Amino acid sequence: MEQVKITVALVIAILLQWTLRNIAEPFAYLDLPLIIVVYAALQRNAIRAIIFGTIAGIAVDALSGGLLGANGFSKTLVAYAVSEIARRVYLDNLLLRIPIIAGACLLDDLVYYGMHRLLGQSIGAPLLETMAYTIIGTTIAGTFIYLFLDSFSSQSIKQKRREFFAPRRQTRRRNPIRLGRK
Amino acid sequence: MLALLLGNFVLMAFDARAENRERVVRVWVQAAANFIQSPVTYASSAVTGFFTSIVSLRSAQTENDKLKLEIQKLSVEVQKNKQIADENIRLKNLLELKQQDEYDILTAQIIGRDSSAWFDTAIIDRGSLEGVKLNMPIVVNGGLVGRVTAVSPLTAQIDLITRDKSALGAIVGEIGQPNALGVVRGEGVREGLKMDYVPGYIEVRKGDIVYTTGQGGVYPPGLRVGVITEVRTGSATVPHQIFIRPSAKISAMQEVAVLLYTAPEKAKYEEALPNAVKEDEKAGN
Repeated sequence: MEQVKITVALVIAILLQWTLRNIAEPFAYLDLPLIIVVYAALQRNAIRAIIFGTIAGIAVDALSGGLLGANGFSKTLVAYAVSEIARRVYLDNLLLRIPIIAGACLLDDLVYYGMHRLLGQSIGAPLLETMAYTIIGTTIAGTFIYLFLDSFSSQSIKQKRREFFAPRRQTRRRNPIRLGRK
Repeated sequence: MLALLLGNFVLMAFDARAENRERVVRVWVQAAANFIQSPVTYASSAVTGFFTSIVSLRSAQTENDKLKLEIQKLSVEVQKNKQIADENIRLKNLLELKQQDEYDILTAQIIGRDSSAWFDTAIIDRGSLEGVKLNMPIVVNGGLVGRVTAVSPLTAQIDLITRDKSALGAIVGEIGQPNALGVVRGEGVREGLKMDYVPGYIEVRKGDIVYTTGQGGVYPPGLRVGVITEVRTGSATVPHQIFIRPSAKISAMQEVAVLLYTAPEKAKYEEALPNAVKEDEKAGN
């Protein structure tokens, strides 16, 4: 069920990425496929995340003026990095995911830009400005999309999460000053 | 993961090499994406058009009165122009001048923009089935917009002249007059172009119009590129630095026209010049 949900989300993200910029220019700064790829990587299934990264990247590249495969390369790398971090650090908290999306976006942009420079291609857009807008836009959109996707979480995951965050029994602390008294 | 990364890298390398040729994967994905992009574009433009028409209704009455007056003036002017046109034809016939070639025009709607924030290409709803070919020029309201860089049967991708990689031969003022020749390049920003290699001793002024020369082998001569907005004057040895605002409103265009123009083929000796000796050796001459 979880797999179907993420696959559907990825397809919708790619379709929106293809069409949204034609409606309003600022939508160019949202990287919707990246948000879903990072979400897939956060589920600790590295292989699925990497495959999603490649597919989403190539789909975006196909309708872009950049090199075919540059987005595929950067998103595959991002998916791997995020899934490795997610394996070592518990990242199911939304607040922890915000810096992860921002970091993933930064890495994605740097790798994308770097690959173009490596292959002698010039990029017209100003580097810092485009990167800053993309990180801000994608992080804000990502936070809301994760909230939305989490609301569709399957019952088992919710159950697991409840177990992980089971309310701890509070022990009463003794007053150390009193302990020394006779 | 390594296999996927390697696959992507190979795709990139292949794409970088095939820059001015047909790019097969891109073309077919574009054709598939057309079935989604077109309905979304038509729906969004219908919604926008509906609200725009409501807003513009308010000013319609005043505009109507103004237009009626304008029609009166223009009808007089049309009469005058008709006389001038007739005179022009008579004089041309007298001088036996040949009619200049005109290009067929195909109107197209922009159905998609670049899916990445790093580039600024656009996708139009006309493809090879309607006669669109690689490198055909795109214009809007008489101003040059760019050229076709990938063609699928139903759609085509266009690259804008403002992209820093694009360059075209241009002239300040009309062709046939002793004016400044140079190369216009994109600056990577939407509304900015720069003209290089114009000798510093030639007089160029702000407000002058820049046209294509047709020498680059992609665009026909006489297309309006833009208006000069700033001139940093050079000297006898240093060329001018000329900044141009494109004539076409690139950031607001919804419909464009494809000029069904194919540049004349280069002479064979031009294409084979660096390898001419090798070719001769292969042939055993």
